[in-house]
Amino acid sequence: MLLDEIKSVLSFAAFNPEADDATVPWSKRFEGRKTLLINVSRNQTSWRGISKKGRFEDGGVMDGEFADIAPQRADEWRMLADGGWCVVSVNNRFIVSLENNMMRGDNCVSLLRTNPRAVLGPKYDRGKRYAICHHPETAASMLLACEESMVKVTEDVLKTIGLRPGRVCCGLFSLTEHAIHQLYVAQRGAAPPNMVLIGACEGSVSVLVQQDSQWKELRCRSGLGPDAVETALQIITPLIQKVPQGSPVYFISDGQDAKFRADIMVHLEKLGTTDMTQEDLLWRLIGMN
Amino acid sequence: MSDYLCHDFKTPRTDTSKRLPNSFKAIPILFYLCVIGGTYFMTMDWMAYKRAEKDKQQAEATKLEHDEATKKLQAEKAALDAETAKAENVAKWIEGARNLQPIIVAIARAMPPEVRLSDLSLERSDQVPANLSLAVRINGGSATEVGLLETSLSRMQYRSYSPQQSKDGDVIEYRSTLVRQEQ
Repeated sequence: MLLDEIKSVLSFAAFNPEADDATVPWSKRFEGRKTLLINVSRNQTSWRGISKKGRFEDGGVMDGEFADIAPQRADEWRMLADGGWCVVSVNNRFIVSLENNMMRGDNCVSLLRTNPRAVLGPKYDRGKRYAICHHPETAASMLLACEESMVKVTEDVLKTIGLRPGRVCCGLFSLTEHAIHQLYVAQRGAAPPNMVLIGACEGSVSVLVQQDSQWKELRCRSGLGPDAVETALQIITPLIQKVPQGSPVYFISDGQDAKFRADIMVHLEKLGTTDMTQEDLLWRLIGMN
Repeated sequence: MSDYLCHDFKTPRTDTSKRLPNSFKAIPILFYLCVIGGTYFMTMDWMAYKRAEKDKQQAEATKLEHDEATKKLQAEKAALDAETAKAENVAKWIEGARNLQPIIVAIARAMPPEVRLSDLSLERSDQVPANLSLAVRINGGSATEVGLLETSLSRMQYRSYSPQQSKDGDVIEYRSTLVRQEQ
């Protein structure tokens, strides 16, 4: 043990961030090392590797339950990840809700991971894992609650095949967080007072409505599946009607559900929707940031 | 990419340790500097040691050469010393073979006519043949004749060594060892 510590100091590894230190971007944690990105949906799993130079490598898609897919792809995945470290994006069994007056602060995010009751108070549910995204200018926040059992099962499955999850996140929440960051922080003042932000990832949909510069309503459905375009439109349409006509609509999406995206964009284009989707956006969000 | 940081709700680990501050990087840096410095000095010392060893071998070879030359010179000197000793013996022999007749003639001529030499003997020394043992008896002589005798011997390049004279009536007995004086 002492020898390992001495070795880690002499190799400067002791100064690098921990592989699962959530406060450090993934690309910094694994500079010069290969890592694996896994995107888990209800009936499908996709994956992609990041090379030592930080470039995306070829990935793959497989239909079926994650617990069945993982043992079949174990050898391939282990080859793609130095030390077995990977990012898992779960896109099922979660809910995103709108909350007000949530605790804010530098340590709020880490506290939400280690002691969520301290942040959420009576809103805390024992069987959930949480993530939060604050409105930069108001007291509103988006709160993600994901089934803890699913997170644990996913982590256990990965452990049995020799992989170590360094990050477990939600693809849809990442896309929505990124869109909010782009609208409110990166392009400061670009967010119009009335707007609708629609996110879609691997058959899950979220719609955020802002009226008079306030987040007013958020609806989310996870695990709809790529064929549920009509269901998604039933969620989206009433919320779009809540904002004044002509208000901008933003759409962000990624994942393997290209058909779902194309079908839904046919309807959204009629509203003059701005598509914020970029190539490999989900992979970049979970594997670079 | 932007400064957006992706959320994470994985099960937190409890066995994580706090990362060392960046200032502690000086420790491994110093370690590697010491290793490099140590390697450099060890290499330089090793090279100096090898160079000194080579110099030592060269010096030993030079010393051997000089010893051999000394031995050769000593052998030559010994041969020359032997030759010198032989030459000295020859020179002694030559000194020892010097004629006695001129000495006797010089002594006889030094005496005035009224004085007679009743006895005269000249003997070579066994140890030093160049030295002569002189014994003379002068009848009717005095100390003057002895002086004349010594003067004539000195003209012949001989010096009297521990001369002894005794007088018995008219007879003076004179004994001396004659030593040849080099010019």
